[in-house]
Amino acid sequence: MFKRLRLAAVAGLFAATAAPAFSQGTLRIGMTAADIPQTTGQPDQGFEGYRFAGYTIYDALVNWDLSKADVLADIKPGLATEWSAVEGGDGKRWIFKLRQGVKFQDGTDFDADVVVWNLEKILNDKSPQFDPKQAAQSRQRVPTLVGWKAIDKYTVELTTRIANALFPYDMSYILYSSPTQWEKLGKDWVKVALQPIGTGPFKVDRVVPRERMELSRFDGYWDKARVPKLDKILLFPMPEAATRTAALLAGQVDWIEVPAPDAIPRLKQGGMSIVTNKYPHNWAYQPSMVEGSPWTDIRVRKAANLAIDRAGLTKLLGGLMIESKGVVYPGHPWFGTPSFDIKYDPAAAKKLLAEAGYSATKKPKIKIAISTSGSGQMLPLPMNEYVQENLNAVGFDATFEVMEWNALVTFSFQPVTGDASTKAGTNGINISRATVDPYSAFMRLYHSDFVPPRGANWGILKDPKLDALINTAHSSFDRAAQTKALADVHTYIVDQAYWVYIAHDLNPRAMSPKVKGFVQAQSWFQDFTPITMQ
Amino acid sequence: MAIQSPSLDLGAGAAVCATPAAHARGYWQQVARRLRRDPVTLVCAAILLLIVASALAAPWLGLADPYKTSMIRRLYPIGSPNFLLGTDELGRDMFARLIYGGRLSLFMGVTPVALALLIGGTLGITAGFLGGRVNMAIMRVMDVFYAFPSVLLAISLSGAMGAGAENTLLALTIVFIPPICRVSESVTTQVRGFDFVDAARASGAGTLTIVRVHVLGNVLGPILVYATSLISVAIILAAGLSFLGLGVKPPEPEWGLMLNTLRQAIYVNPVLAALPGVMIFITSICFNLMSDGLRAAMDVKA
Amino acid sequence: MLLYALRRLIYLVPVAFGVSLLVFALVHLAPGDPISAIVPPDAPKEVVDKLKEYYGFDKPLPVQYGRWLLVTLSGDFGTSIGTGRPVAQEVGSAFGNTIILAIAACLVAFSLAIVLGTAAAYAKSRVVDRLVTSIALVGVSVPHFWLAIVLVIIFSVELGWLPPMGLGPENATGWRLDWPHIRHMILPTIALSVIPLGVMTRTVRSTIKEILSMEFVTALQAKGMNDRQILFHVLKNAAPVCLAVMGLQAGNLIGGSILIETVFAWPGTGFLLNSAIFRRDLPILQGTTLVLAFFFMMLNLTVDVIQTFVDPRIKRG
Repeated sequence: MFKRLRLAAVAGLFAATAAPAFSQGTLRIGMTAADIPQTTGQPDQGFEGYRFAGYTIYDALVNWDLSKADVLADIKPGLATEWSAVEGGDGKRWIFKLRQGVKFQDGTDFDADVVVWNLEKILNDKSPQFDPKQAAQSRQRVPTLVGWKAIDKYTVELTTRIANALFPYDMSYILYSSPTQWEKLGKDWVKVALQPIGTGPFKVDRVVPRERMELSRFDGYWDKARVPKLDKILLFPMPEAATRTAALLAGQVDWIEVPAPDAIPRLKQGGMSIVTNKYPHNWAYQPSMVEGSPWTDIRVRKAANLAIDRAGLTKLLGGLMIESKGVVYPGHPWFGTPSFDIKYDPAAAKKLLAEAGYSATKKPKIKIAISTSGSGQMLPLPMNEYVQENLNAVGFDATFEVMEWNALVTFSFQPVTGDASTKAGTNGINISRATVDPYSAFMRLYHSDFVPPRGANWGILKDPKLDALINTAHSSFDRAAQTKALADVHTYIVDQAYWVYIAHDLNPRAMSPKVKGFVQAQSWFQDFTPITMQ
Repeated sequence: MAIQSPSLDLGAGAAVCATPAAHARGYWQQVARRLRRDPVTLVCAAILLLIVASALAAPWLGLADPYKTSMIRRLYPIGSPNFLLGTDELGRDMFARLIYGGRLSLFMGVTPVALALLIGGTLGITAGFLGGRVNMAIMRVMDVFYAFPSVLLAISLSGAMGAGAENTLLALTIVFIPPICRVSESVTTQVRGFDFVDAARASGAGTLTIVRVHVLGNVLGPILVYATSLISVAIILAAGLSFLGLGVKPPEPEWGLMLNTLRQAIYVNPVLAALPGVMIFITSICFNLMSDGLRAAMDVKA
Repeated sequence: MLLYALRRLIYLVPVAFGVSLLVFALVHLAPGDPISAIVPPDAPKEVVDKLKEYYGFDKPLPVQYGRWLLVTLSGDFGTSIGTGRPVAQEVGSAFGNTIILAIAACLVAFSLAIVLGTAAAYAKSRVVDRLVTSIALVGVSVPHFWLAIVLVIIFSVELGWLPPMGLGPENATGWRLDWPHIRHMILPTIALSVIPLGVMTRTVRSTIKEILSMEFVTALQAKGMNDRQILFHVLKNAAPVCLAVMGLQAGNLIGGSILIETVFAWPGTGFLLNSAIFRRDLPILQGTTLVLAFFFMMLNLTVDVIQTFVDPRIKRG
């Protein structure tokens, strides 16, 4: 037996040195998703899906500018060259001028009919090309879009239910797949999923379900500055952080998403570089604001915000977080000028609780619904235990309702007054939120019209003043006024300490020194086109 | 034929079944005497006793709080001052957690087997003794459960019911009922055919008396030996479920779960991360050796 | 023989029916909404309802069961909620990968077990016997998923000899019998074979020991047969018992590889099952469990029939 083992070992050694060398430009990535994201156009798996199977294969009318690391990524022209609200349209009608000469990867033309066809695909149940799976992933991203028509070959008119100055942001989530390919493959989206066609910088060579997706350079990409330098990208689903770490160290992949903090010293020792940047992510407690909840008292909310030792938490995460001071981080264009400074001040927290009438015998009872894992949840258990320690130290009585990620997501479909939360006795929820655009950062979370199932205002926060501020932002059509209005919204939210703001993720990824030219944008999405392999 | 070795495969034990034998008076004393002379079994019993006793007495041993987290003392190495076996990824005392972890891990190993022994044993003996339609009805239902490999059944059940200690317990009990039932049925059927049972019946003894005196006395040994061999399987299975995130929920100390949560720390402190696995391994080996010893002492052919 | 096999096959029908019912019940026992797992947290209710209708989750359970049974009988397992692909296709490819790994583990475990077990049973010296029984004991006692992690750390991360995950090299599709693919199999095969190795070694050893103590062996010796001829007879007599256990072990490898497949990201049924559980992908969950249970049943049947064939002592009317 020993002889046999040694033989195997020697043979293994030989094979490691003789492993086939990859062509110069192949980048192999380990994703955190458990499967290849949906490839038909509208990806699933959240923003990781958009990152790898969205903006790689496809374009939106409005793309994200992912070329800079030092400023927040913002929208820029994509398949549309310009857009504007129609004069006299009450802010409900928009004209999008389409880019001319754009070709799909199958050589067909992109035009206004394609836009209409794709919108029908997700918004019109009666259309032949309607795909419930793509609809499920995208409808809530365009909650105000109700009408669409082609004006001419390169102009479309879109109508919204209410005036929505921030509508162009919404359109950045709608991607355009080739109608011809769908026809060619027997009008079957399942088949399209294996051979999708978009206009994006990468085309899909092969999809092996649950194993990998192979992308290659699309030489005919319309934006010559963004024609990929790489020949190929291979994407592997690796939901286990330990598997990703081992795969990178063993040289099976060149790049992994979200390495575990504890593995980082070992990764560095193995010559890997850890790339991070801030991006619009918010890890917080969303409290119940209904009567009887201790959170309705602003002093309790402020006390909780002051009780948390964010520096200690940062240490726990190996430095991979930013201490939160609001919905968005300082330096973000919407941060504004809040007067309430969210920091670690346990003495002030104790004082506030005492003022609110609490004492050692009468502690504010809080129970937060948390998950054991999940996309964007960072390290939910250790982090929550740490926060619990902090809260209890200033006089809270904090407990958790622990559940699986999917269960927590389902849990959040009902507001705090629903059966699920009532049964669990929770008065807070810990779901990390992507705060990419104004709708996802404020409207759906803080506006009283957006209580679940319509939005994600889980705690039923009802503040007419805040509603008005948010509405103003959504009806400011001038960019500068818009930014100013959003900063006002944020200033007000922080001053009211509406949530307990704890952390912003740093979006860590680890990569081998062979990966060159990557610029990590302040975004959930990334651009793979400038990358080369050494 | 032989009683099967324990393994994650439960089917083997039942397919190839135990043979009961009519026992002479003083049989159990003889078993006890044999056990006392078996050093391996005694050592294993002593180790297990130590693990069980310390797990049970954990709160009074002056150990550190196994739930007390501290971010400043994460992943201390083995042999650190005040932390004999270091600290885990949340700064909790490893020694305390390993000792406390024995509670749930052992509980998860022993209880499902005990429950299954009670339920499956009763069902099996009933089926074997009564025969006919009752046997048919019970055993056909068991056949349905038998169509699932044990790990698959345990995982499907836990997956369906969700994570949590109670659900794991229930899932494992269900997994162990069919094999124990099968062994019991087959042993009882054989005993029923023995001459002394016929003799008792001829002498006018009631059914209950026959079951109590003649059948139980002769079938319990083989069934018990088989059941003890399942304990190590149960411990590994329960740990496996926790490892997959389908078993005990954090922050409870449990060896399988500790193995899972320490997986990331393997690059920081590999020996520490391996400790819960070592505990599972030791316990499992001891239960297996005990089961072997018991079998030899009871002279159930192996 | 043929008649016996046929009768056993017919007998399987009600059991198979029971199995399908159990699988369905198990999957639908689970709390939580299967659709919610695949849509974003704030998807509108009408889209969720639409999807429910699309997958038939709006119907009462008995109707859902009936429909599922009907389509399953026709060989169609429905479509995955997670991926929209046909379940039959998903389970089919995963099952193939699981079988490959199981066969490798069986080959390693069984051949090694026969050699070790026979050696221990024959061994004059206690040392050999002790050594073999210890190996077997370790095999049945070690948490194999833990062993798998240890193997990855040593051989993939630290030594860099063998790949830590996956079916094969990045640029290949499916499995082929060549060295790059075998490299990927070595670690999972070792981890997966420890349990059957332990069980089989114990079985082979005890069975042969038992046979060696029987009278006919002495008789054969008296007849002047040499050791090799006797060994042949002994092995022939040990075959039925060992075969039965091997069959069950093989079945358990296929049904029980979930932990190993998870550690090595081996795209087999266990891996599929694990992700289906966490995504609440009911059609996949149902399909995979059913296929594995049916395979296990058929394997048991085959082993039984073969056993009857090789063992003249077993008479089954």
